[in-house]
Amino acid sequence: MKELFHIKFLENNDLLIVVSLIFGILTFASVLFYVIGKIKPKANLKELKARTKSWWFMATIFILATIVNTNISYIAIAFLSFVAFRELYSLLGFRNSDRRAIFWAFISIPIQYYLAFIGWYGAFIIFIPVVMFLILPLRLVLKGNTNGIVKSMSLLQWTLMLTVFGISHMAYLLSLPEIDGFNSGGRGLLLFLVFITEINDVMQFTWGKLLGKNKIIPKISPNKTWEGFIGGLISTTIIGYFLGFLTPLPTIQIIFVSFMIAFSGFVGDIVVSSIKRDIGVKDTGNSIPGHGGVLDRIDSLAYTAPVFFHLVYYLAY
Amino acid sequence: MRKITLKIIYSFLVRWFLKLVVGVKFDNAKFLLNETQFIILANHNSHLDTMALLASLPSNIIHKVKPVAAGDHFGKTKLKGKLTEFFVNALLIKRGRDKENPANDPINKMIKALDNGYSLILFPEGTRGEPEIDQPLKKGIGLILEQRPKIKFVTAYMKGMGKAMPKDDNLIVPFNSTLIYGKPTLVISKNVSEIMNQIENEFTKLRIKTTDNNP
Repeated sequence: MKELFHIKFLENNDLLIVVSLIFGILTFASVLFYVIGKIKPKANLKELKARTKSWWFMATIFILATIVNTNISYIAIAFLSFVAFRELYSLLGFRNSDRRAIFWAFISIPIQYYLAFIGWYGAFIIFIPVVMFLILPLRLVLKGNTNGIVKSMSLLQWTLMLTVFGISHMAYLLSLPEIDGFNSGGRGLLLFLVFITEINDVMQFTWGKLLGKNKIIPKISPNKTWEGFIGGLISTTIIGYFLGFLTPLPTIQIIFVSFMIAFSGFVGDIVVSSIKRDIGVKDTGNSIPGHGGVLDRIDSLAYTAPVFFHLVYYLAY
Repeated sequence: MRKITLKIIYSFLVRWFLKLVVGVKFDNAKFLLNETQFIILANHNSHLDTMALLASLPSNIIHKVKPVAAGDHFGKTKLKGKLTEFFVNALLIKRGRDKENPANDPINKMIKALDNGYSLILFPEGTRGEPEIDQPLKKGIGLILEQRPKIKFVTAYMKGMGKAMPKDDNLIVPFNSTLIYGKPTLVISKNVSEIMNQIENEFTKLRIKTTDNNP
């Protein structure tokens, strides 16, 4: 029982403070949207509500990692990858003859997360970009249907990279070795990543609503403005500075890393938006009702996770 | 015993497997509790279809709903037939009419099941055919509703399951799929071809609904 629960968590004030802060903010947001929804039934809060819901999910993964058991969060993040991969590939219009290769791509998900779990960095970092990159085309070739095979090879690899390889860096944070004098560990880093990515989304949205005038890329994301983007960058970097105690980094590096999370979060957001735009416009016949859930939820994390991981890995480990 | 077995299998095991692993999004089927008896008419692409339909039902009526299956396929051996009847609660029928032996005639068998109080799940397209392509409806359902016009029919439309598990391939590859229900409807005519038109229209409505809600 003692092994299952991190009793130490209760003594670790750093984590406890931030976790309470997150749940406080989330509760506040949920109540706020609920009240606004009651007062103004016409207000369009669908997007905001979906976002809050997804952050509840992320926060719960983290709380499981800290209070209950770190192993559960490996499984939860792997499941997130699985659902995201399934959702994206289902929309991309693969051929029937790709099914065997897709099956192997699914099999690679538990393997990738197992490598993260045992902390075998060398294998973790090459498994999808090298091993799967070489194996999947072979499986497609063995099936023998060359009509459209290049498209399938590229799509499959790219989908794996975005939804599995990128996201799995969140899990590897938990496997990073202990550093003397830094007791939040991988859990602190994961919390920092998720919280900063979340706050960046919120900040960009808020600044955009308050001051937004000049659109950055109206063709892809009409709601994205320069004011929101820059406001988000600045406020996220400042918040990152104050939460720096969750990382083992010195101040100047914390500022740089927070800035990079804010920037790459924005990039992830617009990249996934452009995908949805492409699918929504081109292949309406192939898509499925009530869709687009998980993809929206992992958009910024798919970019911030690997960027943050490799910066920290280079700077501190 | 059987009731509990079916409940555990479909409302729990199959339902969660389809939801979490395969990625099936179920429509709410609670409205079926308001009907004493019904015939579910569904498009057919995959072996998963019957599983998904049974798993979508409210758990306390599963044992009262019989999916209709082809006897030549699922009843190939006696054991296979018995297993299908027990675990899928299936009603095995011949594919063609049987004029000489009325007790073995598929239409009569289905009507008998209805008269015994069972609801039915029917695939009016007949076989699964090419994955994800709709096929013309067979008129057996028209003949049944002609004789039992008081029973409501409910259309169900499934999308994606033919990709998760197509015909001739027993490997399940998860694929985000959906199952949506139409409204319980009474036939408006006593003429078989008009009944078939009505059913066709109900299917078209659902088909439009699946393409309307694009992301």
